[in-house]
Amino acid sequence: MEPLTWFGAFTWFGSFLGVAITVAIVSGLAAMLLSLTNSSTKGAFSLFNGIAVVLLLVVGFGYVYGMMSGGGGIQMSTLARMLGVLVLLGLFAAMLGYFMNTFFDDPAATMGALFSKALLAIAIICGVWLLWTLLFAGSGHRAYVDGLAPDAMPDAETLAAEKRIAIMQGRGIIASIFMRFMPVWISLTVIIVVSMIYKRKLGLYGKLYDNVIGMVGFSLVMFWVLTAFYTGVFDLISTHGPLEQASGMKNKLPGTPLRGAESGEYAFYLLGGDNLARDVFSRMVKGSVTVIIIAPLATLFAFMVGITLGLPAGYFSGPALNRESIGTKIVGALFAIIALAILFTSGISNFLIVLVVLAVLFALMFKGSLDTVLSFLANLILAFPVILLFYLLVTPEIVQTGLPQYMAIVLFFFPIIFVAVLINSRFKTQPAKNSKYLMLTLIPMAIIYAVTINAPESKINILGALDFFNPDPGVLVVFVSVVFVNSPTVFRIVRGLALDINSRDYVAAAQTRGEGPWYIMLWEILPNARGPLIVDFCLRIGYTTILLGTLGFFGLGLSPESPDWGSTINDGRKLLMIYAHPALPPAFALLSLVLGLNLLADGLREESLKD
Amino acid sequence: MSKIHDYTGPILEIDKLSISFFTRLREIPAVMDFSVKVAPGEAVGLVGESGCGKSTVALGVMRDLGKNGRIVGGSIKFKGRDMEKMTPDELRDVRGNEIAMIYQEPMASLNPAMKIGRQLMEVPMIHEGVSETEAYNRALEVVTDVKLPDPKRMLSSYPHQLSGGQQQRIVIAMALMSKPSLLILDEPTTALDVTVEAAVVELVKDLGKKYGTSMLFISHNLGLVLETCDKICVMYSGEAVERGEIETVFNNMQHPYTQALFRSIPLPGADKNSRPLVAIPGNFPLPHERPKGCNFGPRCDYYEEGLCDEGFVPMFPADKAGDHETRCLKFKSIDWNAPLEVGEQKEKGEIGEVVLKMENLKKYYEVAANALFGGGETRVVKANETLSFEARESETLAIVGESGCGKSTFAKVLMGLETATDGKIELDGKSIEHVAIEDRDTKTVADVQMVFQNPFDTLNPSMTVGRQIIRALEIFGIGDSDEARRERMLNLLDLVKLPRAFADRMPRQLSGGQKQRVGIARAFAGDARIVVADEPVSALDVSVQAAVTDLLMEIQREHKTTLLFISHDLSIVRYLSDRVMVMYLGHVVELGTTDDIFSPPYHPYTEALLSAVPIADTKIKKTHIVLEGDIPSAMNPPSGCPFQTRCRWKEQVPGELCDREVPPVKDLGNGHQIKCHLDDATLKKMEPVIKLADAAE
Repeated sequence: MEPLTWFGAFTWFGSFLGVAITVAIVSGLAAMLLSLTNSSTKGAFSLFNGIAVVLLLVVGFGYVYGMMSGGGGIQMSTLARMLGVLVLLGLFAAMLGYFMNTFFDDPAATMGALFSKALLAIAIICGVWLLWTLLFAGSGHRAYVDGLAPDAMPDAETLAAEKRIAIMQGRGIIASIFMRFMPVWISLTVIIVVSMIYKRKLGLYGKLYDNVIGMVGFSLVMFWVLTAFYTGVFDLISTHGPLEQASGMKNKLPGTPLRGAESGEYAFYLLGGDNLARDVFSRMVKGSVTVIIIAPLATLFAFMVGITLGLPAGYFSGPALNRESIGTKIVGALFAIIALAILFTSGISNFLIVLVVLAVLFALMFKGSLDTVLSFLANLILAFPVILLFYLLVTPEIVQTGLPQYMAIVLFFFPIIFVAVLINSRFKTQPAKNSKYLMLTLIPMAIIYAVTINAPESKINILGALDFFNPDPGVLVVFVSVVFVNSPTVFRIVRGLALDINSRDYVAAAQTRGEGPWYIMLWEILPNARGPLIVDFCLRIGYTTILLGTLGFFGLGLSPESPDWGSTINDGRKLLMIYAHPALPPAFALLSLVLGLNLLADGLREESLKD
Repeated sequence: MSKIHDYTGPILEIDKLSISFFTRLREIPAVMDFSVKVAPGEAVGLVGESGCGKSTVALGVMRDLGKNGRIVGGSIKFKGRDMEKMTPDELRDVRGNEIAMIYQEPMASLNPAMKIGRQLMEVPMIHEGVSETEAYNRALEVVTDVKLPDPKRMLSSYPHQLSGGQQQRIVIAMALMSKPSLLILDEPTTALDVTVEAAVVELVKDLGKKYGTSMLFISHNLGLVLETCDKICVMYSGEAVERGEIETVFNNMQHPYTQALFRSIPLPGADKNSRPLVAIPGNFPLPHERPKGCNFGPRCDYYEEGLCDEGFVPMFPADKAGDHETRCLKFKSIDWNAPLEVGEQKEKGEIGEVVLKMENLKKYYEVAANALFGGGETRVVKANETLSFEARESETLAIVGESGCGKSTFAKVLMGLETATDGKIELDGKSIEHVAIEDRDTKTVADVQMVFQNPFDTLNPSMTVGRQIIRALEIFGIGDSDEARRERMLNLLDLVKLPRAFADRMPRQLSGGQKQRVGIARAFAGDARIVVADEPVSALDVSVQAAVTDLLMEIQREHKTTLLFISHDLSIVRYLSDRVMVMYLGHVVELGTTDDIFSPPYHPYTEALLSAVPIADTKIKKTHIVLEGDIPSAMNPPSGCPFQTRCRWKEQVPGELCDREVPPVKDLGNGHQIKCHLDDATLKKMEPVIKLADAAE
């Protein structure tokens, strides 16, 4: 069976595309350079002079390098010819500059217009090609069947199988991948069209549709979210299982047909096979699930921790701390938890050392403030090299001591504190409602908390048989470390925002009517800090995604066969010089998701600043 | 050298200018059909409420409208050259060189990372390419001109080392560095204190004369414009409605809006009974919701259907020379001298028992040099020093003073946000000076409430108006169900005269005055008995000020509230208060009934304060007192009398007593207390600061 080609049966659009791309590159470069030189003849001339000088330097270096490396260098005649070319080039530049200034009022603008037309042309050519390919992919097969003599006609089953293969071969790799993502395209179109129609009623999200950058970012992010959704829930899109191996597919190039594919099976490895003969395309698609679930969730937890600590730090940033104040109690409790965790993990001697350190910190608090201490701790974590910290947290020896689990106990407790305080401060005046809401939220949260931190055959196994849910220990470790590393940064942002909003009159108004500090922090300050926080949230998911990739790349945390993008990039890296195809798709996927998140954050920031 | 004298025509000629901003929804016309001419050496005042487009005109002249703004019609000619046709290079040359601009916020106009000298020297070095030494000499000269002490030290300091008034002087110096032909001042003194404002205004006037610079003076303060300008142009909702010589417009106004504006500001010379404030009804129209025909139509007393709502209203000349113009169709038929119809006189509530009593209240802050390790000496900031007064039921006690005088600290101590260092606060005979707000019972908290200064800051932007009031009700324990509280919230909205539909609006959908009303409703949620109003109207437009002030007084009448009215605006204080307390650097320097305070004998500071208030009335003559220097820092107060560094009566006190001792409180009878070393004879000799010009009889 023939392997798939990239563009399928219809490659005649290629020459059009080539012309359009050439025009785009030339006009784009020219527009950029011309606008740099202020579009005067003199400028254009000096521009080409500059290019000539650069070329001369290249030639000169090439010559010297060639001499030194003993290859005899470039022949003098070649050099002379090159210099001649340079002179001609200079003349050409002068003429071109003269020509442009005579014929165009504003050469830079003309080139710019040409560039945008060329881009449009590229888009149209690609669209037409895709449509054409999808519509007429089977035409070759039809012609072949029509040309068959009636007696040579195979039976219907073979014919159908042959037709399927032929259609795929007619489509080629790109169009086939496009077809695999069909559910994503349809949902994405629906989402965008519906949002466009109702954008005036959708607040900040609706405003995103006025911003090209934001829209592109949102589409990229939604693309991967939908992909993860369809492949994770319905097992669509991916062509093979992420761990399925097929014989003879080791390191095979994109488009290679499966040997002896059965009828229900997808007959090709669209993006080739990796060094364990698994389908690269399917692994990339499946890998999105890990990333799309862990990255936002870990970021959310980091925000819970950062907010719960950052708000009091900013709010109680006043001169010295009152021994009776709520802040003192929070820090005291926090220190107690840390001290106990150390006691359980590493014995009495370490515990004593930590106790002394914490006591010093606590004493500092009465001289400084809650803010001083918390900021100090945050800086301590921030000052530590992140990758080193990860190595420490994720190495099996440390994992065996149970440290990640103890950290999970602390870090996962923050969402509970956050929600409890959020509800309690709001409904304190109406006790009946208060207890109802508290129970409705806290009981499920407490159960989830208990079963998440509890794991069989580990240091924390209190629930025993009641423990009905066990997260993958690798995932838990990664999750904890990502939250731990991200929360100090969030803490700093929230603290800064709280410091700023603290001086507003509505905060003073709340104080003068006797509101408690937590109400003011969570209901007066936090909602008004949401703008920067939302933007940072988007950016931070991006960082977390990269962090996950980094972790996977180092082989830390997640299991080695996990299809997540970092691990697959690392696997592919080893043979990168020989077979580039296993490493590139996950790398591209990671790039597009992070780029999307960044663009989305940019768009949100820009739009939230406008009226 | 100077660019001033080589051109004789009008410096700036704006003809039928229209400026629009383009948002994603629609085009918003900000300025329409606006014309003005500025002759050489002339000062033209541009007056109007916020949102009327006066700053947009200035930005249009500077061609600095941002990417959304565009000039859609008319022309701006600078020295006869059409600015439309200038290239970016020419514009750059004109800006900062021939046209200079001074903005409201001095700190925002100075680069905090550059020394003052560098910033000043940049101007001639960039525009004229002079040498560094020459630029330095010129900077020195200009800084001397703006009357800053020790110019050499000024040049080598950073902006944050100067006070607000000094910063604004530097900004003015920078504008004058290039000896511009036109100076645009956009609310140059709004961010400054009254006494500092008076000095800066004086300076601008003098410099205008000295350099022969033309000025475009943008302000919302009619009194200030009267003091500084030759001509005035009143703007309303993007249009100039009246234009003319300043005396003509003030004495012989020809547009209903100008008249309404004058009627809505309190004048310290006038009596509140014979000349009550009249608020302009309705609201300022949003730029995209302007009515057809005359923009002021729906709020105008003289509105005539079928005339005022038909099409475009042009400017009409109101006198023969054509210097005085008005955009009113009916100006000829209106009787401009008709006396103001005085509405029903409302009796003031009977002043009752003492509710609040303060005795020798002191509030000191300790500022440590190093917060973390405690080392270094601790310095004490005396924010409040021996404050004593009483406030009675349904009484309005005004607390007057400039920034840093300790009035906000006093409010904080009263509210319980801070506890007093020493002294006594008695509320209904209960002392609360050491009870912080979290320890006060709900009744006490609900009884003492506050109305804040900045309407844009007083409401939580992410909560609906109704929700914020309901929250106050919840916390005060009023109403036993959600429905009861909602009903009560709607009643409160009625009380402050807001439509009930506002309950579900977000604060950003409300105008400044409406927000302030919500703030008042919130303060009265728990039937407050003492309301501290911290400059409640100073951030509002004049036409709205009157309405909010009236509302406060009306609620006071109904609820017998004690109102502690903190303000620096003596006009409004005179209008509404029963007694006045003047504060300076934490001390009460004068306390007495309103009439006592506003007539001699004065405390020297009160006298200066009165003289500094710009008054929008041509018939009033003021004694001119300009205080030297700035308010001293509370960290480092002067020895002896706090006011001695700026006092003009200091020589009258023998034996340098002012330098050594804090003056004792002197009772002049009728509860009029004064903290001054001046003897009774000198005090008696004091002249009234504000006089009617024809008060000979």
